[in-house]
Amino acid sequence: MKKSIILIVMLLSVAALLAGAALCQDDLEYLDNEAFEDPRRPAVPFSHDTHNQTAELDDCAQCHHVYDEDGQKIEDESSEDQACADCHGLDDDEQKPGLMKAYHLNCKTCHISSRKGPVACGQCHPK
Amino acid sequence: MNVIYQFVAGPLAWAAFILFLSGIFLRMIQLFVKVNQPEKFLLHYFSLRYGLRSIIRWLTPFATTNWRKHPVFTVVTFIFHGCLLITPVFLSGHVVLIDEAWSLSWWTLPDGLADLMTLIVIGSCVFFGIRRIVRPEVRFVTDASDFILLVIVAAPFITGFLAYNQWFGATWMTIAHMLSGQILLAAIPFTRLNHIILFFFSRAYMGSEFGKVRHARDW
Repeated sequence: MKKSIILIVMLLSVAALLAGAALCQDDLEYLDNEAFEDPRRPAVPFSHDTHNQTAELDDCAQCHHVYDEDGQKIEDESSEDQACADCHGLDDDEQKPGLMKAYHLNCKTCHISSRKGPVACGQCHPK
Repeated sequence: MNVIYQFVAGPLAWAAFILFLSGIFLRMIQLFVKVNQPEKFLLHYFSLRYGLRSIIRWLTPFATTNWRKHPVFTVVTFIFHGCLLITPVFLSGHVVLIDEAWSLSWWTLPDGLADLMTLIVIGSCVFFGIRRIVRPEVRFVTDASDFILLVIVAAPFITGFLAYNQWFGATWMTIAHMLSGQILLAAIPFTRLNHIILFFFSRAYMGSEFGKVRHARDW
């Protein structure tokens, strides 16, 4: 009797854990990596609103930036109506880093200077 | 965590590379000073032709008698050194970081192949370790430092494999990977790992003596 109660409690706990994990999965969003023809790393889990709340980011142009032809960031403009891949090609060009490098530099530079957020490969690209 | 990561990826990485390069430079100066003072006659024996002949022959699998006498050891040695040198230089994760830092990039290995080559390096280190215990003629000249050196060499590959495959926590494993790589780099000039450079000098000297002085073939 005692054993079966323990067994039922254990099964219920596992079920609760799995249900929790499944619910979390629903909330998980990924950065769009469709522009990459053959991505070598898994897509990056990224929840836009949670990230910005946690990081206390109000300035959209922090990530959705606009640069002029001289390579200077235009302070009062932002580009959240565009995809990153609209400007950044797969390879570097004379003025802009390629798409992967743009993501890496944009995320990591901020995470390093603010000393918060992921910086190692596997932190953003979990298998 | 970020502070530790940045310290290891930043100042410690620079310190390791500076120790590695300046250590090798000092080693070479030390070699020339030592040869030049009490044993100046050694320089007199030196021959570019026989020196190069010996280096090339000993870098060719099965070209020398000693390579042919130990076929398994020869195969493992050549594959080990090839994987050891090629994998870190052409690893996509490394090239991505170099590209981000200096806008330099080059061809990279497919990740699966890099994983296999990493396992070959680790397996070879195990082979060399077992060989040091099992073969009496090798055990005779073996002490603890030989095993420590094998661990120093294998560690960046073990931690790199685990960090890439994310088996025991990618974050700390990445930090351990950088640290172990830095220990390896810094250890090269000051341990017998200095054969990465000194091999060429000792081989050239022996080749010169065999060819120019004894007029013998280079075994």
